[in-house]
Formats: sequence, C-alpha cells, structure tokens
Amino acid sequence: MDSQKLLQIQNLSKSYGEAPALDRFSLDMERGEVLGLLGPNGAGKTTLISILSGTLPGFSGSVTFQGKNLFSDRSLKNRLGIVPQDMAFYEELSAMDNLLFWGGLYDISRSELKRKAEELLKSVELSDRAKEPVKRFSGGMKRRLNVAIGLLHSPDLLLLDEPTVGIDVQAKVSILEIIKRVGREGTAVIFTTHQLAEVEETCSRIAIMDHGRILAQGTLDELIKTIGEKVIVRVEGEFSLSSFSEAIGSLADDGVELISAADDIVSLGVDDTDRIPKVMERLFSNNVQISDLKIHSPNLETVFLRFTGKSLRD
Amino acid sequence: MRRLLLLLLTDTRRHLKSPLALMIYIAIPLFLTGIIGLVFAPRSEESQLPPINILLVDNDKFLASRFLMGAMDSDPVKKMFRVTLTDGNDGERKMKNGKASAMVIIPKGFTVDIIDGKDVSLTVVKNPSEQFLPNIVEEFMKTLSVMLSGAVQAFHEEAQGIRFISENPLETLSWKDLGPQLESAQKKFIAAGKYLSPLFIRLEKEKAEAKGAKVQLTMSDLFGIIFPGMIIMFLLFIVNNRMGDLLSEREDGKLRRLLTTPIATWELIFARILGGWIWGMGIVLIMVTTGSLLFRIHWGSIPSLLLLGLAASFWTASFFAFLFSLLKNRNQAGAISSPIILVFSVFGGSMLPPASMPKAFQTIGFLTPNRWFIDGASRIRDGLFPLPSLMVLILSGLLFLALAVPALKRRSLV
Repeated sequence: MDSQKLLQIQNLSKSYGEAPALDRFSLDMERGEVLGLLGPNGAGKTTLISILSGTLPGFSGSVTFQGKNLFSDRSLKNRLGIVPQDMAFYEELSAMDNLLFWGGLYDISRSELKRKAEELLKSVELSDRAKEPVKRFSGGMKRRLNVAIGLLHSPDLLLLDEPTVGIDVQAKVSILEIIKRVGREGTAVIFTTHQLAEVEETCSRIAIMDHGRILAQGTLDELIKTIGEKVIVRVEGEFSLSSFSEAIGSLADDGVELISAADDIVSLGVDDTDRIPKVMERLFSNNVQISDLKIHSPNLETVFLRFTGKSLRD
Repeated sequence: MRRLLLLLLTDTRRHLKSPLALMIYIAIPLFLTGIIGLVFAPRSEESQLPPINILLVDNDKFLASRFLMGAMDSDPVKKMFRVTLTDGNDGERKMKNGKASAMVIIPKGFTVDIIDGKDVSLTVVKNPSEQFLPNIVEEFMKTLSVMLSGAVQAFHEEAQGIRFISENPLETLSWKDLGPQLESAQKKFIAAGKYLSPLFIRLEKEKAEAKGAKVQLTMSDLFGIIFPGMIIMFLLFIVNNRMGDLLSEREDGKLRRLLTTPIATWELIFARILGGWIWGMGIVLIMVTTGSLLFRIHWGSIPSLLLLGLAASFWTASFFAFLFSLLKNRNQAGAISSPIILVFSVFGGSMLPPASMPKAFQTIGFLTPNRWFIDGASRIRDGLFPLPSLMVLILSGLLFLALAVPALKRRSLV
C-alpha cells in the first residue's frame, strides 16, 4: 500500500439486488488532484460518492484515507468534505446561520468557524445576502452555498456530486473556480458531472466509468492518445449490428475501425476523413439505412464515446 | 453532546422562524374550548323566555278590573307578561301591527255584574301570526277567571257592601252600617289565610349536595374539564409536525449530509426525539398558562401537572419516532398520522366526555394517550397525584422509544 496516497480505493463492489452498481472499482488520489469522474447515467458515480460519504452500507472492498480505514475512524469525517447533489441545507435559516450550523458539527473552534464562514461567503459572492433566509435565493446562489458548506472545515478530500447541475453559466463558472482553487490549495477533489467541458477546464485527471468500473483514466492528452488520432464517425439508422459489420467488414485495412456498436448506433474510428466517402458508399451499396451521421475530431467526447459507446447525453 | 445541543437549538430556531403553523395549532384548541365552554356553560339564572306582550283594554275601571290588573302586575307574573294598558282603537291597531301576542278586553260593568251574580265574560283577542304565545295568555286568563269567580262566591255578602260603596258618595256612607260587613270580611280573610298562606303551592328546587363536593359547576370548572382533552389532541398534532423532520430530511438529502459529518447516528436520532419532547413540553406550558389566564382554569397541583405534561410529551415524541421509523416519506405520514390522532381523540375523550361514550369505546379509550392525560388532569384537579397516568405514559413511551431507535438507525443509512 502506497503511504503517499491520500485515498486508496481497492476492489469496491456494491450491488442493488442483482444489478451491480460498482464492480471491483479501484482508484487512487493524491493531494491537490482534481479528478473529474465521467460516466453515463447508472455508471455508479453517485454510488461511489455515497459509499465514500459513509451513507451507503453493504459493500465490499476497502477504502483507505490518510492511511486509515475510512469507515472505522469517525474522526476522519473531519477531513472529508461532501457536496451532495441535493440542496442539503435549511432554507428557513440564513446563509450565515447555515454555515455556522453545518460547520459547528465539525471539530472547529467557534471563532475559526465564524472567520471561515465569512471568508467562504465572500468567495462564493454571497456576503451581501449572508443574513437573508436561503429560501429567497436563486438556484445558482443555493448551489454556491451548497458548495461552501462542504468547504467550511477545510477538508483534505472534497467529494462533489454534480455540483453544477441546473444552474446558470455565471454560477457554474464561480463553482468551477472554487474547485480549481481548493485543488491548488492542496485539497484532493473528486467531482462527478455530465459536462465534458467542465472536466476539460477544471480537472487535472479524468476518469471515465461505466457499469461500475473505471474504463480509462489519465490527463486529457493521455486519454486522447489512448484512442489514437482517429476521427470518430457516429452513424445512426435502422440497421442491425450484423448487417452493419458485414458491410464494413473489409475496410479494416483502409484504417476504419469499429469502436463501439449497438443496433441502430455505431461508432467508427477513421484514420483520415478522406476515408469517410468510401465507408458511406459501402454502407449504401449494402442497403444499410442511415438516418444520421456525425463526425468528431479527437476530444474528450470522442474518448468518452470510444470507451462507453455512448454519448454522454444518452 | 455539543453536536446534539447544536442540533436541538438549530431545530428549535428553525421551527420558530416559521411560527404560523404553531400559532394556529395553539389558537385552535383555545378557540374550540372557548366555544364549547360557552355553549355548554351553566347559567347563573334559569333560562327565561322573553315576557309575552299583552294589551289590556279596561272598559270597567272598577274593582274587578283592578284586581285583574293587580294580579298581572305581581312579580312572578311580570316575568311572564308585559301588560300595556290601552283603549279599544289603539289596541286593535297595535294588534294589527303585531305588537302584542294577545289583547284582553274587560267589558264595561264587569265588577257590578260579578257582584250581581250575572254571567260575565272577558274577551281575549289572539294574534293569528303567533302559534303558542296567545294560547298561553288564554290559559292564564282562564286561571284568573276561576280565581276571580271563587273570590266572588266567598265574599258574596261583603261584595254587596262594596257595591253600596261604589254607588253612593263617600260623605253619605255610615260606618255603623258597614261595620258588620267589614268584620265578616275580616273573619273570612283570616280563615282563608290558613289555606292560602303560603299561597297555593311553593315549588321547591333541591340540589344534590354531596359532602365536600361543589354545589354548582362554574365556567372555569367546565373549561378545566374540556381543555385537557384539547391540549393532548393538539400536542399530538404539533409534535407530529415537528417529528416530521425525521422523514422530510431523509427525503430532501439533509439526513445524508448530516451523516457525512462527525455526528453519530444515535446523537442525530436522540436530538430529534428530544427536540420533539422539549417542543411538546413547551406547548403544554403555553397551553396551561393560557388556560389559566384566559379561562381561569384551576388546574390543581402545578408540579403534578408539569410532570403529566412531561410524560405526555415524551410519549408523543417516542410514538411518532416509532411511527415514522416505519414510513417512507411525509406523504405517507400525512395520510396516516392525522387519522391516528383523530381516532385517539375520539376514543380518548378529547372530543366527547369519556363517560358519555359506550362501554366498549371507553375501554378502547384506555389505549390512547388522550384518555390517560385527561384522567391524569382530572385526578390533579381533585387533589390526587396522577400516578396511573404517569406510569402508563412513561412505560409505553419507553417501549416506543426502544422500538424506534434501532429502526431509525437502520433506516437512516438506507
């Protein structure tokens, strides 16, 4: 076991009935790392965050945090910050009262807590509304407060479950700035999202997960290199996978590769865009009915498509 | 412990930030008690009908008519009838305008005809727009006529002297001639007095008086009987509302966030139950104080009453903690808890006095906190210690608590 690692997750498995949510999931985190966890719906992202938060029992595997079992030492919760997907605070209370309450549950002195609350309110641009009941806040302001609550006790590891969902651009930028800043200050951050652009902009490391496992991880450049420099061609239509495979079967030598496939949707990797007309010709001559065609240059989305076979919107 | 206190204080502050529901819950029992008390309050005087309006047309203007008018002017009759003297024309006009229930006409020569032993009659004109009141007047006049006829027969001889007096100027009268008649009249009055004094029949009203018991129920006594039932019913509603945090926080994700903090699950559960308990006790204190100030309720021993309030609040908080440990969300709780409270209140005596209910209902009532709280309050009013109520409320409350804590602990992690 590497004692340098802040967090080590090994073979974490969790099932809901027969359906596996996490399947021997393993991950390491170092201080100051900002990890973007990407995955389609049902990939197991929220299950992972819930287990790490200590709110979901009935799993197997181990999680070591600062060299200790995360779940056997309650004092470790003082070093863990959680920002759930729900707006989990009291709307009747003011922003300041919420911060003092949630921060008061951690082992922080009252004066330090007050100072930290004022500092955070300033950084999430809520200082002028600090004494107003939160129920009067806009969605973006509530999201910013939600994040601030998770940072009150200066955690070593911050877990954010889709912290930018359903908010305006200004609030989103503000939250992403906070994430980058806490990362620079040495806090390890894991945040889940559906927004590829957020991950590209914010994260030092990206992990793509599906079916409860990490399919690929690394920096953006490292991930793009794993799929080569191929252009991704995404084809939709009314066809069966077998008829499609038969149609392009002999094109492998021409630099065309089947990346992911399902009935009606297929993703192809093509070495050069000049090859695309030839692919189309082959498909038409084999009577493959095509309704949509999309061409992507190599980027995070093509990487995601390459590994999950799905667009993140799917 | 620090975290538990922080939770308690924050929860209380939170609930006080939106006090409207609480104020309504406190105002409703006060209002209901006031209404019920006023409807069923004992009266200081017997209830009375307003006096019946009678118009009297006196065409005789002599002794018999004065007798009738005097009879109608006596105290007991005055409470029943309001007699207005009028003349025939005015009387008819007033009757047409519905100003009286009946008009009694004493004919001219009424007294003299009575003395002469002739048949005489009184005319009673009844207001056709009224159903019962004119008949009462008619019956009353019949009674007066019978009394008058009796008096005339008893004093027939003396009446002749009276007629003589009426027909002659006073300066021509000889007291020597009148003496024997007056002496005779005096003897008859004395003899009649044996039978007529006390007059007719006196109605005696007796009240059951047990040694040491109060003679009459006062308003504050009545409020003291009604209000404990209201207190326990609305205590159930208010604590149910507060304990709903257990479910709403699970639904909206706050519970999950709380569990990510260093607070222990048991601290969280106890903070909620303790919060409900203290909240309930506060409500009992407010209601008892308001009852004392507003309704002048004499509760009996206040320390005993506070103990009873503590036990009832504890029972209520434990019960709802247990109930909510079985439910998934606030919708379920809303559908289940209100009917439970209403059933408790009906069988437990918050809505009807237990003694007025069938035996089977009274037996079921002993399964409710309402019945034990009401019985306890009654014992305290009677100067007794409410030991049975305290025992039942505390022991069953402990049972619910023992069931609730592990169930909530299990559910809060799912």
